Amino acid sequence: MDKAMTVKTETTRDLVWPGLADPAHDSQRLFRQILGALSEPGTLTTLALPAPPQVAPSDALGAALWGVVLTLCDLETRVWIAADLDSPALREALTFHTGARITDDPASADFALLTHESFDPQTPFAVGSDTYPDRGTTLLVAVERLENDSNGADDADHGWRLSGPGIAESRVLDIGDGAGCRALMTRLAGNRASFPQGLDAIFGCGAQLAAIPRSTCITRTDSQEMN
Amino acid sequence: MDGYNFAYLDEQTKRMIRRALLKGVAIPGYQVPFGGREMPMPYGWGTGGVQLTASILGAYDILKVIDQGADDTTNAVSIRHFFQRVAGVETTTATTAADVIQTRHRIPETPLRSGQILVFQVPIPEPLRFIEPSEQETRLMHALEEYGVMHVKLYEDIARYGHIATTYAYPVKVDGRYVMDPSPIPKFDNPKLDGNPALMLFGAGREKRLYAIPPYTRVESLDFEDHPFEVQSWEHTCALCGSDHSYLDEVITDDKGGRMFVCSDTDYCQTRRGEVA
Repeated sequence: MDKAMTVKTETTRDLVWPGLADPAHDSQRLFRQILGALSEPGTLTTLALPAPPQVAPSDALGAALWGVVLTLCDLETRVWIAADLDSPALREALTFHTGARITDDPASADFALLTHESFDPQTPFAVGSDTYPDRGTTLLVAVERLENDSNGADDADHGWRLSGPGIAESRVLDIGDGAGCRALMTRLAGNRASFPQGLDAIFGCGAQLAAIPRSTCITRTDSQEMN
Repeated sequence: MDGYNFAYLDEQTKRMIRRALLKGVAIPGYQVPFGGREMPMPYGWGTGGVQLTASILGAYDILKVIDQGADDTTNAVSIRHFFQRVAGVETTTATTAADVIQTRHRIPETPLRSGQILVFQVPIPEPLRFIEPSEQETRLMHALEEYGVMHVKLYEDIARYGHIATTYAYPVKVDGRYVMDPSPIPKFDNPKLDGNPALMLFGAGREKRLYAIPPYTRVESLDFEDHPFEVQSWEHTCALCGSDHSYLDEVITDDKGGRMFVCSDTDYCQTRRGEVA
């Protein structure tokens, strides 16, 4: 808290990377929202916390993913940052607020910060092993669109139908239809084939958040099989 | 509450457990190792469950704690008081009013709703442990989905007794993949694991493992085509509320063989009596 105050006085207000005002209770509240999002894949939740500075590239990160970073990262975690999100300010804020180590090696990252545009299926993120499937990278993906069927997603064109644990029947999630989005969802759909190894993804769009863990089955809403 | 962080555990420990919980939810039924802390109560008193509850509990949550279904037995009372003291949370005995329910060996009779979290206390998380003592081997067996030996164990019951004699901690398969120990709940409660709208978290303090069943997840009790899984049934009804479809405890009333059967779920029983009266 004291350190955060020092930084505030040193920088102009709109460049401040906000921390959690009340670390114990704010992180608990945010964690429960993240836990809810992962236990019921495709549901949307809005994280209430101050947004990171609204200048590129940190504006793409959004409040929700910054909230996930503040809630889950600490000196025991390694974070990988995609080139289109990377900035000295983000690195400094991440290190300052969480103490997390920043790594250039995606295979050793606990969390990876990226945008749907910068997702490359060839990036060798950790997917865990058959004996320790939990030792995998959690993707934190900034997307430009985040809607589900209870929120008016137009599922005819570019939605993704999710089913599996956490979903009573099925749920439609729309994260946009760029080439990056398709590549990302195709990669996540491949999780079922390699289960229990796989990538877990948390999506952020501004303050909105949704998640797709590796246990989820994903198909196009126009019912093309993904894998 | 002076001298303690909110909910007893330090923030660093909570974050570590929270990260493990997210992986547990992402891989239903898989036992995630976590850095279990020493708690101010002995192993066997629910230290695993307490650490999970401490990591998820918020100031506005309403907490219920049950021990074998009862709100008023030693373990339930001491854990409820613990969280009243270190987190200052409101507590309840009503299943419907609770946000977080920590349980020892029962699932409440009242159906749970979406948004509730049920935290189980687990003594031995590894369902294969009594068959294979080596952790390295059981881990490999889970990786290879090599679960035949579990069916052999159930078959030995049938060969010896003519039916599957396992009555509690009855092994289940989660979402068609991991065989999981549902903690020592009676097999009467196993059907409640399947497709439950609540999130179910399991914590083993001594073994330092946690695992999860997300809401609406397929959970099957292991069985055979010719010996399908079935829950216990009995002729008695609850002596207090008259329920004929709840799990009953036998209570000895004197030293002349007198006994009565009452609901093990005290809240369920009291609610029914309130409605009847």
